[in-house]
Amino acid sequence: MKNLRTSLIAVAILIATSFGANAQLTGTQIVEKAYNRATGDDQTSTLTMTLTNRQGKQRVRKIKQFSKNLGTVEKNIMFFQSPADVKNTSFMSWSYDSDKSDDQWIYLPALKKTKRISSDSKSDYFMGSDFTYDDLGDRKLNADTHKLLKSETIDGKACYVVESVSKDEDYMYTKTKTWIRKDNFVGVKKEFYDEDEELLKILTIKKVEKISGFWVITNSEMKNVQKNHKTSMILNNIQVNTGIPASKFTERMMTRGL
Amino acid sequence: MKKIALILIITGFAFLANAQTPDISGYLRNYTGVLYDTGDFAIIQNTFNLNVEKRGDKVAFKANPMLYHYWSDSLDLRLREAYLDMYFDNFDLRIGKQQVVWGKADGTFITDVVSPLNLTEFLLPDFDEIRTGVNAVKLDYYLGDNTFEVIYMPNFTPAELPTGNSMWYIQPEFPAPATFDWSKSEIKPSFENSELFVKYSAITSKIDFEIMGGYTWDDMPTMHVNKEIDMSSGQPVLTGLNITPKHHRLYLGGGSFSTEIKGFVLRGEAAYYNGKYFQTEDPTAVDAITEKDYLHYLAGLDFNVGNVKLSTQFIQQYILDYDENITNEETENTMTFLARYDMFRETLHLELFSYIGLTGEDALIRPKVTYDFDDSFSLLLGSNIFVGERTGRFGQYQDNSMLYFKVKYNF
Repeated sequence: MKNLRTSLIAVAILIATSFGANAQLTGTQIVEKAYNRATGDDQTSTLTMTLTNRQGKQRVRKIKQFSKNLGTVEKNIMFFQSPADVKNTSFMSWSYDSDKSDDQWIYLPALKKTKRISSDSKSDYFMGSDFTYDDLGDRKLNADTHKLLKSETIDGKACYVVESVSKDEDYMYTKTKTWIRKDNFVGVKKEFYDEDEELLKILTIKKVEKISGFWVITNSEMKNVQKNHKTSMILNNIQVNTGIPASKFTERMMTRGL
Repeated sequence: MKKIALILIITGFAFLANAQTPDISGYLRNYTGVLYDTGDFAIIQNTFNLNVEKRGDKVAFKANPMLYHYWSDSLDLRLREAYLDMYFDNFDLRIGKQQVVWGKADGTFITDVVSPLNLTEFLLPDFDEIRTGVNAVKLDYYLGDNTFEVIYMPNFTPAELPTGNSMWYIQPEFPAPATFDWSKSEIKPSFENSELFVKYSAITSKIDFEIMGGYTWDDMPTMHVNKEIDMSSGQPVLTGLNITPKHHRLYLGGGSFSTEIKGFVLRGEAAYYNGKYFQTEDPTAVDAITEKDYLHYLAGLDFNVGNVKLSTQFIQQYILDYDENITNEETENTMTFLARYDMFRETLHLELFSYIGLTGEDALIRPKVTYDFDDSFSLLLGSNIFVGERTGRFGQYQDNSMLYFKVKYNF
């Protein structure tokens, strides 16, 4: 009995401690945990992006993508497989932990040329979709001020709701609200507000899978509620930590293609 | 010609039926242009572009025939590329007919001299069509993000120029009747006459750059002019000109770079040409030509204003050790300007590209609107507007300003 009581007290203390620890998290710390969530050293996947307009007409883009974390720099390379007019186009980016701007290149097979492009276009929409380059994860953590608003439960999962306000007044979103799961710090929903602070877009995470021990978002949808069009992103053939060589992220591979 | 084209197409499809599932892509395109001045059709062209390729881990091949059909029912079949690739651990080898693109410049050709240009429609074709394929062996050796490239070309391919019946052919004005002897314009394929290019390039987190050298032939022929003088009246009277076009050896070295500075992509490219010949009015000059070294360079900037993508370049061609008898200007300055804006989820594209001749006081202005009807089908309405002095490189074509329409199906 004494042992049981001791155990219960210990569990209670543990719960209280851990609740207390999470309760003390600031908005910045929560976003930082989500930002730094372990995703493996490298990842390969096939991305299918379906753009649906307000009339329900769909356009589909397919991309094979590879990423690798090399310590202070994360390298990504994408090979566009469809539609036909962009087939064999490739895009490479190197993102740095420091404040240095990303390096980005695009290879256009018709022109047979690898061009360095400006990373100053984070607000551009990616391939005509509802995702900007920033939405796809390129945005730096310290570009916004983060504030914990409340806790809320979505689909039975306890979440933090964090408001992030851009430090750049000219940025396309005045603020975002992100719902981040408390158990694994995976985001489940995000709202984007335009320059008039009106709700512009809602990102919904539809499926998260544990692959090789890492949480991976495999199905998400971004809906523009003002223009009533949306983009779904589905990841298939996901492989984590397969040891992709650093030589994959070079001009040689951009020009060679898949 | 039609029969040959047909046989090649049938052979091509027979090959495809037997090949191990190669990837097939390409497009069918109609291109119709109308001259502003006369309302005449400048061009009615149908194009079938076929890409057949197969890539493996160690080997690959690509064949890219293009068939052009014109309003007169004439056919022009071209094999733009047909090459084999071999991939090794640290180097790749490409053998066959191929297009090679070097440098960081857009719409101008400074170190980009490996593949000659098809100038039969001036600079109007898309830049992927304006370069012609060359027979070559290309070796690329890789060391991290560094690439060492060597290209050996066994036979010389000159630039293609418009001929007498083309609206892009400008009849030169001669002070006396001229006869042309084209017999010496061909360079016979031989080891001695082959071409060699080398390049070292790297992409890094700070800057991308290329350093190149070439032992080549001038793609443009030099006009050797022999004057016929009649002295029967006691005074020299020019009675005729014998013009012999010849290609000359050219040595060049150069490089290019691009880097990003606070959202601006800064580009530069330069080449030093040795062995270039220019026409001269110096009466003592043999064949009315003189050899001068020549510098061609560019500085460019790419940037965004809101969602509009902008790019501008300043280009200068400079003849060293210039003398006043040379018919070209000592310096020729040109600027280019590009603005592009994508609308409606990248289904409507607005673009304005211009060459502005600062020396010639002329310009080529090229606005266009492209609408992607769906992912495979696009409609393009554009205009090529030549303005300025008729003596200028662009102004000389001001009668050729046109409105054009392209419809394209990609597969």
